Amino acid sequence: HMFRDRTVTSSVSWCCFPLGVLSDIISTVEFNHSGELLATGDKGGRVVIFQQEQENKIQSHSRGEYNVYSTFQSHEPEFDYLKSLEIEEKINKIRWLPQKNAAQFLLSTNDKTIKLWKISERDKRPEGYNLKEEDGRYRDPTTVTTLRVPVFRPMDLMVEASPRRIFANAHTYHINSISINSDYETYLSADDLRINLWHLEITDRSFNIVDIKPANMEELTEVITAAEFHPNSCNTFVYSSSKGTIRLCDMRASALCDRHSKLFEEPEDPSNRSFFSEIISSISDVKFSHSGRYMMTRDYLSVKIWDLNMENRPVETYQVHEYLRSKLCSLYENDCIFDKFECCWNGSDSVVMTGSYNNFFRMFDRNTKRDITLEASRENNKPRTVLKPRKVCASGKRKKDEISVDSLDFNKKILHTAWHPKENIIAVATTNNLYIFQDKVN
Amino acid sequence: MEVQKEAQRIMTLSVWKMYHSRMQRGGLRLHRSLQLSLVMRSARELYLSAKVEVHEPEVSLQPARFLDPRLHSRREAEAEAEAAPLDGEQPSPEPMDTQEAPRAQEAPARGGPCPAKVSRKRRSSNLSDGGDVGLVPSKKARLEEEAASLEIPDRLQPSPAQAEGAFPNLARVLQRRFSGLLNCNPAAPPTAPPACEAKPACRPADSMLNVLVRAVVAF
Repeated sequence: HMFRDRTVTSSVSWCCFPLGVLSDIISTVEFNHSGELLATGDKGGRVVIFQQEQENKIQSHSRGEYNVYSTFQSHEPEFDYLKSLEIEEKINKIRWLPQKNAAQFLLSTNDKTIKLWKISERDKRPEGYNLKEEDGRYRDPTTVTTLRVPVFRPMDLMVEASPRRIFANAHTYHINSISINSDYETYLSADDLRINLWHLEITDRSFNIVDIKPANMEELTEVITAAEFHPNSCNTFVYSSSKGTIRLCDMRASALCDRHSKLFEEPEDPSNRSFFSEIISSISDVKFSHSGRYMMTRDYLSVKIWDLNMENRPVETYQVHEYLRSKLCSLYENDCIFDKFECCWNGSDSVVMTGSYNNFFRMFDRNTKRDITLEASRENNKPRTVLKPRKVCASGKRKKDEISVDSLDFNKKILHTAWHPKENIIAVATTNNLYIFQDKVN
Repeated sequence: MEVQKEAQRIMTLSVWKMYHSRMQRGGLRLHRSLQLSLVMRSARELYLSAKVEVHEPEVSLQPARFLDPRLHSRREAEAEAEAAPLDGEQPSPEPMDTQEAPRAQEAPARGGPCPAKVSRKRRSSNLSDGGDVGLVPSKKARLEEEAASLEIPDRLQPSPAQAEGAFPNLARVLQRRFSGLLNCNPAAPPTAPPACEAKPACRPADSMLNVLVRAVVAF
């Protein structure tokens, strides 16, 4: 078992390896399947990929830091002339393909267009051409007196990114999710009302598999907020809605999966009913566990774990920042109530993590039922120092080191987090800083 | 009373948020628009139920005339909403009844009373409040009430510069129809949002709330 069996919330000490400031607001973070590469997308349409250093066997306490590996402009702003609308270049999601050869492939998407990028290394170049000088100029053929076979010589590593496929013009609404199927040949893309199925090789065609657009748009009551393929069953996917429901669909049942196979919904707690109940129940992220047995959903105030075999309620619910429930009106005023937090599983599905405000992020250990709040900030975290657990004082007397709800900074929010598939390494994005935390190996 | 004020405040806030969201880069976001309209509907329901509790039924109609979608002609509401899809996300306008749109263009200019014609169209079930059917007065009576009680506080009068902005009719209607709401709202945004989208002439709508709520979902 590659994953250490330690309770993350108590015995693991997290320390920080700062990665520096990215110049634009980070909009997505994703580890690849091995965890060696970490991709970030930003509001300016750029993708920055970090690579973990090869493990230094001598200095075993330093387990591979992440350094910039490649940077490229994935999407540019576009203009839809028909609707007089600008199409933002912001990268909404990045998903890695599993590695099949020397090159790496990822899908990145903005609101309307998905692109398949190939990232490849070049560390040698041919030298010794007969007709060309080393600088590329052509030689005068009359000066060629001997022939030689060009050879490859090492060069400084160059990482190149090239767009291999562009999947465009299939979404009327804004794309919120992409998910690669376990068959590694197809993937889905979801917007507010529709989900399309693509083949990675085919860009001029996609199949619509879910369409919840009502005939009369005035009757619209819910939108699709996230979608994901099951990690093992290539026929199964889920999509979440703004009403707090999750639908599991089986593509074998019919071509158009408007009728779900399962509907996951928890009845609302009447004591919690408030003015804003409806909008805080909207699910902002859905993620299958690595095992495929569970899925996790994130709504505004909580994280819920669902067993795929039980539709009527989640098996676990974790409150992320319940102290905000009495502040919903203010959060509506400053638009924070619309923030879309993501969530993620650790490699063994024993811990889940999600972000909050004040640059706090939370981890919940499903086995011990313990949770921890940590902060990602440069003032508080010098490199290689251990993170101190934080605590928010909801009401009453504030203890030393606690932070009161009213002094939380709602402009500092952690929406995007990612967990290494095998190690206790996490990537946490604040507005435009990326932090990598690793557990301190003694 | 507190509940009413709060509901009013939230309604006004929602209207402005909806308005502002149209200016956003990347176009109107369907999910956000839906959420705003949900809050607006809850606020309206709260406001109406609070009014009913506090006042006599007749008096409670005052806010109802601003808010109830069925009290006013749906033509203009739909004409306004039809204009909305042009900067929305649909490639073609959603099934709004286009045949009545031209008539809406003849609707009275600012300051005039709303047309007396009753819409022949099916009421939207999405936005109607089943509960306040009994509170609806006859259309005529309400029009007289309306003409008599329309007042726009000085501070809410649009400045000439504002009125000449990209949405002159919309701004005027907002202020006229929401004069009651805006009066009570200390946090009313003072200026019209910046104009950065060309838009065909807005047709004045009777029920701005209805219009805006439907505008954001019906595209």
